[in-house]
Amino acid sequence: MNVPREQSRRAALVRAGFAEPTRAEPMLDELGLPADAIATMSRAASPDQALLGLVRLREVLPDAEKGSFAALFADDPDGWARLVAVTGASAALTDRLVRHPGQWHDVAAARIASREELYAALTDAVGDRTGTEAYDALRVAYFRQLIQIAAVDLTGDGIEQFPVIAEALSDLAGAALEAALRIARNTVPDEQTCRLSVIAMGKCGGRELNYISDVDVIFVAEPAGDADEDEALAVGTKLATELMRACSVATGEGSLWQVDPALRPEGKQGPLVRTVASHRNYYERWAKTWEFQALLKARPIAGDEELGAAYLEVIQPMVWRAAGRDHFVEDVQAMRRRVEQHLPAAEADRELKLGKGGLRDIEFSVQLLQLVHGRTDDRLRNRSTLAAMESLSRGGYIGRVDAHELDHAYRQLRLLEHRIQLSRMRRTHLMPTGEGDLRALGRAVGLRVDAERKVVELWRSQSAQVRRLHERIFYRPLLSAVARLSADDARLSPESARDRFAALGFRDSAGAIRHIEALTSGVSRRAAIQRTLLPVMLQWFAEEVDPDLGLLAFRKLSDALGSTPWFLKMLRDEGRAAETLARVLAGSRYVGQLLERAPSAVSVFGSREARRPLSRDQLNSTMRAAIQRQDDDDAALLAIRSARRNELIRIAVAELSGELEDLDALEIALTDLAAATLQGALDLAIRHVEKESGTMLSTSIAIIGMGRFGGRELGFGSDADVMFVHDPLPGADAGIAQAQAEQVVGYLRTGLSASGPDPALGVDADLRPEGKAGPIVRTLASYAGYYERWSEGWEAQALLRATPVAGDDELGSRFTGLIDPLRWPEGGISEKAVRQIRTLKARMEAERIPRGGDVRTHFKLGRGGLSDVEWTVQLAQLEHAHEIPALRHPGTITPLRVMAEHDLISLRDAAALRESWSLATRLRNASVLWRGRPVDALPSNLTDADGIARILGGPVGAGHELGERYLRVARRARAVVEREFYGTDPDDGDDFEPTR
Amino acid sequence: MDRQQEYVLRTIEERDIRFIRLWFTDVLGTLKSVAVAPAELEGAFTEGIGFDGSSIEGLARVFESDMLVLPDADTFQVLPWRGENPGTARMFCDIRLPDGSASQADPRNVLQRALTKASDKGLTFYTHPEIEFYLFEQNMRPGEPPTPVDQAGFFDHVPHGTGHDFRRSAISMLEQMGISVEFSHHEAGPGQNEIDLRYADALSTADNIMTFRTVIKEVALEQGVFASFMPKPLADAPGSGMHTHVSLFEGDRNAFYEAGAPYQLSSTAKGFIAGILHHAPEISAVTNQWVNSYKRIWSGAEAPAHVSWGHNNRSAMVRVPMYKPAKGQSARVEVRSIDASANPYLAYAVVLAAGMKGIEEGYELPPEAEDDVWNLTDRERRAMGIDPLPASLDHAIHLMEGSELVAETLGEHVFDFFLRNKRAEWAGYRDQVTQFELDQYLKRL
Repeated sequence: MNVPREQSRRAALVRAGFAEPTRAEPMLDELGLPADAIATMSRAASPDQALLGLVRLREVLPDAEKGSFAALFADDPDGWARLVAVTGASAALTDRLVRHPGQWHDVAAARIASREELYAALTDAVGDRTGTEAYDALRVAYFRQLIQIAAVDLTGDGIEQFPVIAEALSDLAGAALEAALRIARNTVPDEQTCRLSVIAMGKCGGRELNYISDVDVIFVAEPAGDADEDEALAVGTKLATELMRACSVATGEGSLWQVDPALRPEGKQGPLVRTVASHRNYYERWAKTWEFQALLKARPIAGDEELGAAYLEVIQPMVWRAAGRDHFVEDVQAMRRRVEQHLPAAEADRELKLGKGGLRDIEFSVQLLQLVHGRTDDRLRNRSTLAAMESLSRGGYIGRVDAHELDHAYRQLRLLEHRIQLSRMRRTHLMPTGEGDLRALGRAVGLRVDAERKVVELWRSQSAQVRRLHERIFYRPLLSAVARLSADDARLSPESARDRFAALGFRDSAGAIRHIEALTSGVSRRAAIQRTLLPVMLQWFAEEVDPDLGLLAFRKLSDALGSTPWFLKMLRDEGRAAETLARVLAGSRYVGQLLERAPSAVSVFGSREARRPLSRDQLNSTMRAAIQRQDDDDAALLAIRSARRNELIRIAVAELSGELEDLDALEIALTDLAAATLQGALDLAIRHVEKESGTMLSTSIAIIGMGRFGGRELGFGSDADVMFVHDPLPGADAGIAQAQAEQVVGYLRTGLSASGPDPALGVDADLRPEGKAGPIVRTLASYAGYYERWSEGWEAQALLRATPVAGDDELGSRFTGLIDPLRWPEGGISEKAVRQIRTLKARMEAERIPRGGDVRTHFKLGRGGLSDVEWTVQLAQLEHAHEIPALRHPGTITPLRVMAEHDLISLRDAAALRESWSLATRLRNASVLWRGRPVDALPSNLTDADGIARILGGPVGAGHELGERYLRVARRARAVVEREFYGTDPDDGDDFEPTR
Repeated sequence: MDRQQEYVLRTIEERDIRFIRLWFTDVLGTLKSVAVAPAELEGAFTEGIGFDGSSIEGLARVFESDMLVLPDADTFQVLPWRGENPGTARMFCDIRLPDGSASQADPRNVLQRALTKASDKGLTFYTHPEIEFYLFEQNMRPGEPPTPVDQAGFFDHVPHGTGHDFRRSAISMLEQMGISVEFSHHEAGPGQNEIDLRYADALSTADNIMTFRTVIKEVALEQGVFASFMPKPLADAPGSGMHTHVSLFEGDRNAFYEAGAPYQLSSTAKGFIAGILHHAPEISAVTNQWVNSYKRIWSGAEAPAHVSWGHNNRSAMVRVPMYKPAKGQSARVEVRSIDASANPYLAYAVVLAAGMKGIEEGYELPPEAEDDVWNLTDRERRAMGIDPLPASLDHAIHLMEGSELVAETLGEHVFDFFLRNKRAEWAGYRDQVTQFELDQYLKRL
């Protein structure tokens, strides 16, 4: 084909990755490059930028050199490639080249100089100079070396040679510090009286520096000869100050980096230089655990070598004793939490360094393991992250495959970081956002196709790897202490495992090891699955309030379900099942206990769908089916209770996983469950009585829910408050009907309340007429007769919340028809009745708080607690329900809202009451879930408070704020109750408590 | 461990200190002390010393765990008491729970919380108290008023008076303890004294006040007399107040100062004064916490019973003193209601909180009171919008009960304890049949 030449060059440019071929063509001509040079530019991160850089460079070259520059492509292909790589990857270094064009020869012939060569080159460049002249010389010499390192870096395998590059950068930094010290010695008078050594810390100490970052150092000084110590230290301080200035100050040649001495003893408050003895004193007495962690990296890098060695000899042994210090475990845990929480929200999704899955996370975790295990194993005492990973793997502290993958991920992330920094020589750890920048970055790490998108994918997949790091390097190796694993895995000794468990927050390390041993030993498939499952489960346990509790419950569950095939399969395969289970077990004794009796109910963890509470209809049919499956009545009763237990587990797990939309949803689920349970038990009781007596029941029965049950506000651990009503069929014998009804109710109550394998449902009928002295069940007519004797209007208060919940619907409606005029009396209630209700409440407050209870902390009867709020609402209902139909509601929150809408209470007061009532209710539920049994008051124990606060959605360790929060909310509610219920006016000056 | 703690351990070694008293304050402002040996001190710095909080007024445990006292090395002082040889030293302590969190029931923590809230807004609270007290003869006869050590008046020089010697040795002992004393003179009542502590941040000042009271009582005993900070010990002589000059600093700048404004009062200062005035009745139970406090408040003359402010008006509750115009840094206002027996931590916390509230909500500063407020009639005062402070502790308790500001500042735990304790005090007082009643009624009725 006869394609015009122009077009083919253009196509070649496009193929080589040029974004703007039109701009490139004249530049190519200017450089006088042949067409086959185009392909060689395709390796540059940005060919456009490379070409532009080359043109700029050529412009400033003396004419004499232009010839050899043009010939480079033909004469020295490797040198050409290096020049293209540098100009294509770094605008900042290109600018430097244009400024010092003679250095293009260095780039073309780039190699990495040895440490000695670097030190000599930079120190010689500085010579005897001082001031700006010296600073400039240092900068020129530094960047001359840096650009060569970059040239080698950019033309080799970035992953493979990462350690070489990072070491070269660290050595170059060391050379710069040495040269800067030379400048300082040229500058400071009496410099010879002080010996000074510069100790590198952080990445520079670990010989894993990046292109540009703060260089962390510590200065050690000693008097030279018989110089006076104080004077020598003063000179040392001046030397150190000038050294830092020589590196950081910006001159016409730019600056190197900040020298950061903040890791020294006492940090920014401490003296800049100290003697070896003074360092020792400090670390012996006052140092904090994190300071020892920092010292892991300490390495003399410049200045007096002998002094540096003396310093190391003193400091290093202390680092390894740190793990034996008091509070080491607590400190480490706190540090771990800090690292995990340290996520700057704004740029979290671009961060390479901070946050979960970032570089800092890897480095910190590796150091932590070094500190925990390095005390007893000196093979772990490496300075660099990669070397430490390898030692940990070789020593069996982390698995080989894990170590290998982590090593790769670390190199990959660091490579991205290096390339980002190189581009503009800025200290940044953020992924770029612009498409062009992303594309150049992708090409800089070797991606050619679709680079801008692929590079983001690459980064995300690597940090996803790292995000599972804790599981892999903290938790998985724990198994190796007890289980025989493949050769790839870690081999932790029992002692090391105990250290590690303690460092992770388990109180009973020995117990934890026992459980893991039991779960993972053997060659069965089950043990094999447990071995893959446990590491991550352990991590989730460790992130909750009581890791030991979680592990123990999981052990029991696994023992019980050992041979069930679906259990482990579900945990392994079903998305979040394992995590939900782990967090629930480590945060709720209630669920743990229920599961212990019904291990198979653990299937609710399988999916969110499985945790959706059943509707009332579904519950009814579940109960019916449970009865029908059993011919034996007692067995049927047990079946009802088991069905209830399973549903309780479902509701509790849904609540703990935050899947119920609000408090209302929880209360409705629990109320429906209690109602369906009663319905099932009533059906069964009728069947039982009919079978026993051989006759059909001659009366119909309904169950009326009272209290929170009637209001559809049941909580975990609530009893069911009820009244029983029956109505003999036409023509039935009244005596027989009453006897039959009593038998039915008796069977139902005993059946549900008696202790048994599954939790009992207390059926409390104490609110019935005449209380405990009255018959347990009455006819509708008897209720009518009884209520007729009421005269004062206050007695109907308890009936406000009455709602039929089970049994004969029609009878239930007739019952409400009977009580409606009583509870919503026409014209409200009299002053006298109001007074009586207030008196009754006041008496209750005095008498009902149990012995040793505190009126402030009791959820139900305490000041501002549940009953305060409920009585306030109920008083308003008695007074106003006749005129405001919306008030006729058995709940608390709904009528409270109606009261506010009708100006019976201010919005602000209603909010105070609602807040207290809801918080007390949620606290009560959370307490049951945490402790596994009903709880009436704020916990008096900090661990309990922590557990409850966590269930309410707080972070671990929020317990001590719990009490303050509730007391405040309850106090405000109480002030409203004083005003709205008791009718006291705080401003009238009356003394409410004159007798105290 | 920090340098200051290092310094403490070294000093103890060098000065042969055998006992260290760890001081803390209960909710009512009584100083408590736990003595430890030097060997235990390092542990005390890192882990604290355990004690049973339930035995201390108002520290009743929120959680069942033991409490810890954690000494604050910055407050280390060798006690200069005579006869304490080998030496004894003291440090103030923070009260902590075993997990290291601060105890909500620790008055020092109450003040720290209030200071932190202000510092979150960039403000530091400085205070300068003028503490009045009486010296009485030791041999007291039951049922009779105490006898003051002299009968001098304001600024009188009493030759060879007990008070004179007393002041000299008290000042020297205070200064040995690092507490600078700014000025001292003889107050208006017989045997009454006033010593002013120098300006410092409110927490240091409160610590200093606690030390000051102890020193004064010690020195008095050495001189064969006794000292009392009771607000109103003598029916016909002035009571003992603790007028406190307060100011807020924003960095190095006095935030109360504005050149050219009336009295050089910045809007921050005006808001702060307005806040104190607005909330004065409800914080009275804290700033004036005893039954007896209200007998001082209502005794006339310099005692402020009415919510008002003025420029150099000694009957006003808040006074804006004169200062040299060049000295913008010394701009301040004087709160005159606090008495000498208040718990300084709690009192300064509520004053600060009230003032901050005034700034945050932008309260309007009412007009200045230019007359002697005592010379007005009740009706005049009402017409001018000048409210009274509570007439009694009972009244003050009621006002505090409804105060969200005090509850939030003290924390629910201290708030509740304080109210319960004060109600009991009032009930105990009411149960007495006093000499007044016997004199007035016994024969007549």
